[in-house]
Amino acid sequence: MATGRVRTTALGYSLLAPSLFGVVTFLLLPMLVVAWLSLHRWDLLGPIRFVGLDNWRSVLSDSTFGNSLLVTALFIALVVPLQTVLGLVAASMLARGLPGSGLFRTVYVVPWICAPLAIAVLWRWLLAPTDGAVNALLGRRVEWLTDPGLALPVVSAVTVWTNVGYVTLFFLAGILAIPADIHHAARVDGATAWQRFRRITLPMLRPTLFFVLVTGIVSAAQVFDTVYALTGGGPQDRTDLVAHRIYVEAFGAAAVGRAAVMAIVLFAILVAATIAQHLYFRRRISYDLV
Amino acid sequence: MTSSSRVLSGAAIYFWLALGALITLTPFALGLLTSLRSPQQFATGSPLGLPRPPTLANYTGLAGAGFGRAIVVTALMTAVIVIGQLTFSVLAGYAFARLTFAGRDILFWVYIATLMVPPTVTIVPLYLMMAQAGLRNTFWALVLPFVFGSPYAIFLLREYFRAIPADLIRAARIDGANTLDVLVHVVVPASRPILVTLTLITVVSQWNNFMWPLVITSGSKWRVLTVATAGLQSQYNAQWTLVMAATTVAIVPLIALFIVFARHIAASIVVSGLR
Repeated sequence: MATGRVRTTALGYSLLAPSLFGVVTFLLLPMLVVAWLSLHRWDLLGPIRFVGLDNWRSVLSDSTFGNSLLVTALFIALVVPLQTVLGLVAASMLARGLPGSGLFRTVYVVPWICAPLAIAVLWRWLLAPTDGAVNALLGRRVEWLTDPGLALPVVSAVTVWTNVGYVTLFFLAGILAIPADIHHAARVDGATAWQRFRRITLPMLRPTLFFVLVTGIVSAAQVFDTVYALTGGGPQDRTDLVAHRIYVEAFGAAAVGRAAVMAIVLFAILVAATIAQHLYFRRRISYDLV
Repeated sequence: MTSSSRVLSGAAIYFWLALGALITLTPFALGLLTSLRSPQQFATGSPLGLPRPPTLANYTGLAGAGFGRAIVVTALMTAVIVIGQLTFSVLAGYAFARLTFAGRDILFWVYIATLMVPPTVTIVPLYLMMAQAGLRNTFWALVLPFVFGSPYAIFLLREYFRAIPADLIRAARIDGANTLDVLVHVVVPASRPILVTLTLITVVSQWNNFMWPLVITSGSKWRVLTVATAGLQSQYNAQWTLVMAATTVAIVPLIALFIVFARHIAASIVVSGLR
């Protein structure tokens, strides 16, 4: 019996060995290294020097990083509500099950399946001031990507365009999982379509809504490819999202220690946001459904 | 009365659904059309018209810009990562689902905790680690961070494996099968749907990966498609016909995959929730 347990343990660890190596080396160790790096100065090539809290002081008093956090917050505030509402509307229409709904559902996911980098390059041409398709369609010249007031809304719109189909899939799955009896009973009781949506569909979708919001915020906070190819963070740093700032700091300015500080701050914000939403939704879900 | 209002709302729904599809697909169609124009046609004609006559010159131009190699590197990278990730995730998922051993539950929670680690945060330290290991600009640097399995895949596989009837495995055991036999002949065949899901999701995310290849490779040797497309765009900013051909090449293989597996991919996304 005892040898059997030893054998199972050995077998368990030998099955886990490759993934454990991967988790430790490429997920856990980097978290330690990033903390260590934040206390050092490195220019990507030369020697690494210990500088104490210098990077922390310089990043936290730096208006460029403050601007990036603000831009990212604005970006999230534009993208997440819009894609969530549009996804919910599209899903409600698809859930009617009209002939051809499956085809529409498939079409909507196409942008999401494509490389965000390629999507950004495509839109860079579509929005080009003189020879782009959007201005040709409008018949006037709009500086979509270089107008300081337009750039962030435009980058947000491209992101929403990419994500809506993905969000729709989750809402559609959520709506279809609601037992038909509930809707039927409400209809018998004379509830209107809006009342049924408001009182049945929406409350029953809370877990889906939670998932869509959390993943929406976490992924929007990390958008990089889209700004890299669309605006390069400009004009005047108006689209300098945090992930792009980290990249520029580390691989453009060769200030790797400062980039490490920014990465840690981003991580802390993401963890806090996830926990906060979790607490909020757990309370709401249990009150309403139990 | 009710039936006529229903018909009306049906028509309204089709109108909005079709508008959504139009907004979704038109950008792709316009990009494709422009990739089929010669630079002269592009300079003189409207970007909204049809190319007359359509030309493949931009695509042959891409071959000269090293896109052939980029396609091979991207396909190879994706294949190696998919095979490694699936194999090692199956092994780990089985250990967590079906074996009882000391430290199992703690380790499982460690794996789950790493789901909170965002790729954007690890990219800088990973770069340092690869540089120290002398692996900058190598094929290994492209695949190593992803090839040993993904905690999320392991989590999903564990759930799936736990639902396989114990009798099925016990019967194989009685027939003298060892763990490897059980995995290959019982567990994997019983888990086809989730394995297809994970394969599709991994192909999509690796084929589209940009930030890591961008920082860890340089020059044309290990350049992947996304990096090549970005490079072309910044190098030939005004040559939109060539750039749209590059975008099309980066996008089309996944759209083809998507058309073949359309039904499955929608379900896969919902199951895994992963990019």
